[in-house]
Amino acid sequence: MTMTVCSKEALLARLAKVDEMPSIPVVVAPLLRYLEQPLDQLDVNKVVDLLSQDKSLTAQCLHMANSPLWGHWQKVDSLRNAVVALGFQRLREIVISCSILKLVPGKAQIDPIVFWEHSLGCALVCRQFARRVNFASPEKAYLGGLLHDLGIIVNLWLLPREFATVLDMAQRQRIPLHEAELDVLGLTHCESGQLLARRWALTDDIIDVVGYHHHPEKAPNHKALAALVGLSDLLCRMGGIGHGFPEMRQVNFLEEPGFALLRSECPSSSDLDWARFTFELEGYLDEVRCLVRQLYRPA
Amino acid sequence: MTTTISSPMPQIAKSAGPPDPYLVKVRDLVYQVAGIFQPDNKLHFLEDRCQRRLKELRICTLREYYDCLTVKPIRQAELVSLLNEITIGETCFFRNQPQLDALRHVVLPAILEAKGKLPLRHLRIWSAGCSTGEEPYTLNMLLMEEAAGQLKNWTFEILATDLNERSLAHCKNGVYGDYSTRNLTPYYRQKYFDSTDNQLRVTSRLRGGITFTRLNLLDDARMAFMKSIDVIFCCNVLIYFDVLSKRHVIQHFYNNLLPHGYLFLGHSESLFGITDEFRLVHLPSTTAYVRSQHRQAVSR
Repeated sequence: MTMTVCSKEALLARLAKVDEMPSIPVVVAPLLRYLEQPLDQLDVNKVVDLLSQDKSLTAQCLHMANSPLWGHWQKVDSLRNAVVALGFQRLREIVISCSILKLVPGKAQIDPIVFWEHSLGCALVCRQFARRVNFASPEKAYLGGLLHDLGIIVNLWLLPREFATVLDMAQRQRIPLHEAELDVLGLTHCESGQLLARRWALTDDIIDVVGYHHHPEKAPNHKALAALVGLSDLLCRMGGIGHGFPEMRQVNFLEEPGFALLRSECPSSSDLDWARFTFELEGYLDEVRCLVRQLYRPA
Repeated sequence: MTTTISSPMPQIAKSAGPPDPYLVKVRDLVYQVAGIFQPDNKLHFLEDRCQRRLKELRICTLREYYDCLTVKPIRQAELVSLLNEITIGETCFFRNQPQLDALRHVVLPAILEAKGKLPLRHLRIWSAGCSTGEEPYTLNMLLMEEAAGQLKNWTFEILATDLNERSLAHCKNGVYGDYSTRNLTPYYRQKYFDSTDNQLRVTSRLRGGITFTRLNLLDDARMAFMKSIDVIFCCNVLIYFDVLSKRHVIQHFYNNLLPHGYLFLGHSESLFGITDEFRLVHLPSTTAYVRSQHRQAVSR
């Protein structure tokens, strides 16, 4: 039964105001631009200078650098050491993810901690999954995981009332968020996310992830990446690190359309021990929960 | 809700250091041989259990212990001792809540739908390796709670089997202490138990729906009689079997289960590399196995 609250055209017109959404912290754009340069031309001191202009980003980099999630076990107590320990690539991810979190509206219907846990958890699962199946770029997969639900933020800003109905329906019926969105709005966070991803001039592969992680077969170019992120997203949601409520259903990953796509690009995924991989996730999803709760607290 | 970023210079979390590589080797060996996995956040638990064995064996390092599990003549007996340490004290009522939630909210509705068209509205659930009985009693409470809801107009029975006579006597006696009953809410205590000398005794009503029987899972003749099962729970039992015996039991389970049936194993227990006849399915915060033919059977 369709419960569309407003015509899809009217909602799309409101989503077109994506330009009016709040922007990311001032320091982020120059920092990301600087980090785009070839690695051998990057100067740690310059990065530290830029980063230290934003106290909360500094704090988060220190926290992240000290998390066993990144495989670092020595105590990192200065921003310079944090930058060195994390590496420029990961620093870029942290800057992006922290900036996105700040975009979650203050009075959002979705708990920002839940959103952040899911995004960071999915990013980590993506990277681990990519390594396990010999996917070409685990770091790209990580970034895709981090950004895949960008559209939820857009919906929270531009369609708050309608999105509240969506969340309520998904929670009550314990169904995936995108199914409730389709029912209530006639569109999903994939479409709204693509608008913001394009406005931010993200790369084509990430735009495909944002737009097609629930239907990777429809992705114009980067089907395997969208599939990998979609499967990781599903693993997180089934593993209890989803959108704040359990989805009461059964999933056979071997029969997921995304898995067939991934298998065609990464044949070794046929040999994946899904049980062990799932048990391993439990370990670092717990770590994600701890880390996120360390980083953020209610005002 | 508004969130703020925590203080600019947060206290840096102390990390315990990387895990001992031999602990990771023990973890991987236990998974390879027994099929039970300890994720990274449970490695401290595994280390604690290994330390108990180190003390018993009067050795000092995990490296020596790894040798005991691999090259020494005692390796098979030692693996059993370690598995006992890993699973000891796990038994209690409502032990694995995600599994029970999945049974109630996903598995039962799926089975009822699959069987709904049949004239016989009856469910058979088997606790294979029921130990001292907490699992079958928990399952019976769950089903009894559903009797007026989704199981209205359905009958159900629970088969509880174990190899150990003493465990079965405990089951039938139905008296449990604080440790076993730690997860029981006042609601369940009151409804399904009588208090007796600081212990809880299951009511005759709760005991009524369960058949306790001694059964060796490797006894072909007896296993062949376990028919028309909807759900099998076999938690922390197969880990003690070698690969051939595991395959043998799994083949029986395949035959014991109805086409739409489910097999639940213990937490972090896997059938990887053991059988192609079952497929892993993900349920909310847990996993189970279904017969590989199930999907084709349903779609036909």
